[in-house]
Amino acid sequence: MKEIRVSDQPRLGFRRVLRITADGIRYRLFRASVTVAVIAVAVAFLLNILSESLIKRAVARDTRDHIEQSRLVHSWTSRLGAPGTAETILNELANTAADDSRVEELTRMGGLGPDELVQFQRAAGQTIEYMDFFAGLDYARRRRLVHQAEGLAIFDRLAGDANFQKFVAILRETPSVRLTSTPDALREFLAQWPRIRIWTEHVQAGQAIAVARIAAGLNGRDLTQALAAADRDFGHVVREAGFALDEESARVVAGQARQILDQRTVEKSLEHRAPRQIIARYHDILPGDVTTALLWDFVSEPSRAAQYLKAMQAVGISGDQLQPDRVQSLARHWHEMNRMERAGRLTADMEGGWLGLGQRMAWLLLVSMLVCAIGISNAMLMTVTERFREIATLKCLGALDGTIMTMFVLESCMMGVVGGIAGGLLGALIGSSRMLVAFGPAFAGSIPLVDLAASMGVAILFGVVLAAVAAIYPSFRAARLAPMEAMRVQ
Amino acid sequence: MTHPHSSPSAADRRVIIRTVRLKKQYVMKDVVTEALRGVDVEIFSGEFISVMGPSGSGKSTFFNMIGALDSPSTGRVFIDEVDVAQLTAEELAYLRCQKIGYIFQSYDLIQYMTALENVTTPMAFGGVATDEARKRGMRLLDTVGLGDRWSHRPIEMSGGQQQRIAIARSLANEPSILLCDEPTANLDLNTGQEILDLLERLNQEEKVTIICATHDHRMMNICDRLMWVRDGQIERVARRNEVQVEVGTIDGE
Ligand SMILES: Nc1ncnc2c1ncn2[C@@H]1O[C@H](COP(=O)(O)OP(=O)(O)OP(=O)(O)O)[C@@H](O)[C@H]1O
Ligand SMILES: [Mg+2]
Repeated sequence: MKEIRVSDQPRLGFRRVLRITADGIRYRLFRASVTVAVIAVAVAFLLNILSESLIKRAVARDTRDHIEQSRLVHSWTSRLGAPGTAETILNELANTAADDSRVEELTRMGGLGPDELVQFQRAAGQTIEYMDFFAGLDYARRRRLVHQAEGLAIFDRLAGDANFQKFVAILRETPSVRLTSTPDALREFLAQWPRIRIWTEHVQAGQAIAVARIAAGLNGRDLTQALAAADRDFGHVVREAGFALDEESARVVAGQARQILDQRTVEKSLEHRAPRQIIARYHDILPGDVTTALLWDFVSEPSRAAQYLKAMQAVGISGDQLQPDRVQSLARHWHEMNRMERAGRLTADMEGGWLGLGQRMAWLLLVSMLVCAIGISNAMLMTVTERFREIATLKCLGALDGTIMTMFVLESCMMGVVGGIAGGLLGALIGSSRMLVAFGPAFAGSIPLVDLAASMGVAILFGVVLAAVAAIYPSFRAARLAPMEAMRVQ
Repeated sequence: MTHPHSSPSAADRRVIIRTVRLKKQYVMKDVVTEALRGVDVEIFSGEFISVMGPSGSGKSTFFNMIGALDSPSTGRVFIDEVDVAQLTAEELAYLRCQKIGYIFQSYDLIQYMTALENVTTPMAFGGVATDEARKRGMRLLDTVGLGDRWSHRPIEMSGGQQQRIAIARSLANEPSILLCDEPTANLDLNTGQEILDLLERLNQEEKVTIICATHDHRMMNICDRLMWVRDGQIERVARRNEVQVEVGTIDGE
């Protein structure tokens, strides 16, 4: 007679669970690949956005430096051409390190002592902070608070005691407006304001004298022409006038100025008919449609550059210093600047926000993560739920709850890994090629490979963990039920 | 065919399954179906029992209860005098795996496994080594006449063949109790008879307790007792020799 003596069911070895799981996936290969595809698409979507943001961020960083570097002549012409306004002087002081030669220059021009400088710099920082606060207010509020005053005139107005009392009273009635500091701190600052005003005016006066000296030293040249000699006689003039121009930047500025002048000369030739027609004929368009971009395209090849130089000489534009290879390098430079400015425009929104990706990208990233999460969990929920009957049968045959859970979590992990890797590669590939098309292949060097690989790892992990977690819940629910209850669930 | 068969003597009449006021309701939204309305039965070790009754009378529900596959709404099920409700998940799995063999009405084979894998899965769960399981699985498939189809998957087989796989699977761990829900429903006369012979042999030689839901009258020739279920209640229980006297009048209905 057969006896029943109940004891505990042994645990199934991991390798056998793995085999059963693998067999199941192989049998339902089509269904499984649909799920994997869903995971892959979700991860690809996420990684596409992520890789684009990372590349954009890197390009933004690279171009910003580059553009700034290439703008040296611009910044020097504005510096030497006119004294700064009170706002620009304060801004510059607030945003420049104390040991920068620029700060020393401002001090010298304003005739300030070292102690005064320290105070001035700190006050400039506060000024900019309060300015930002007022600039952030809408018109109606600002009118109520400071009447019609604008810019630094706001401080002039508030320095009056009556006005300040009124300001504080109104501020108290308007709780939605938050001053960046306490009213007391503002009052303290305003007490200093007349002094700041005077310092600033001193600096401005000093700058006006310096600018006048520069103007006297131009000898009929315009500033750019003069800067082309910044590494020679004009450098002396600049330093004599009191500006901080060291040898190294003088060389760079002079080089850039010469480049700009040569560029101007070449572009000026388009005012003449004959050179214009050469380009029109080459591109097969009307002479009226020739642009500088087409000009630089044309001369980017040595023989054509030589041809064009001849045409320039024929119409009397002296090309003494202009050799074909110089023209060619100008064309290269023009194209590069063009690319940089384009990239700069495209990445203008990449600042602040999460991971320094800019508000828009950070938001997109968040949404894509959500889409990814929902997509994957839906796919996994479906695959598990449609197999409740199988789970029930396995339980009837003596499978432990843990075995069933292991099976399903294993399955979803495998799917998550395959889908995650496929999607990760796909997304990174699409993202980087899209960005390369947008910015041009010259930016291939800007692609942050390490960041990209790391984000791929994170996205894959995200996919796997999500798939596993999404499978745990329904399989746990199914495994806990009595077999026939699980079979009834639809 | 008749056998010189006697029910176990009083001394070794050990109760193996006992139900006490067993009730089961299925609640779907606001419809409540009373599938079992208070069933009290005692089934003895080594018995062969036929359960008969019209469709929808609650036979499958009764099987699920005494096989520890579903929880009763009220009432208790004792298997070998152990209250099933008191068992832990591990013990329940052990019971379902080692001690009870199930043949479901709808077979419920695992679709992605071959015939042999279907048969060896309960062995795997029970901790039998792979080689040993394969050997035993092949032997069982031979017993049900499907030794040459071991590598086929369920969808490649007919309903009757699937049913025979399900039978082989139910015997995987040499169970003490065999619960069969219409095991011969899809089989032709010959195959059906072979299965009946197999069940009878298991009952006679291995002393397996067998409980069979069936509409097959041949079952009456081999069972010890018959139970009639109607509307979720046991309408009548009778020994085979009592029934055979009145042959012709019982016809299940
Ligand atoms: N999952 C379920 N949900 C709701 N009602 C159910 C469920 N399963 C069975 N029932 C109902 O319970 C009653 C008994 O069903 P059961 O399957 O036990 O009958 P049966 O005797 O096995 O019938 P058959 O001979 O047709 O297999 C029926 O009225 C049926 O409608
Ligand atoms: Mg039934």
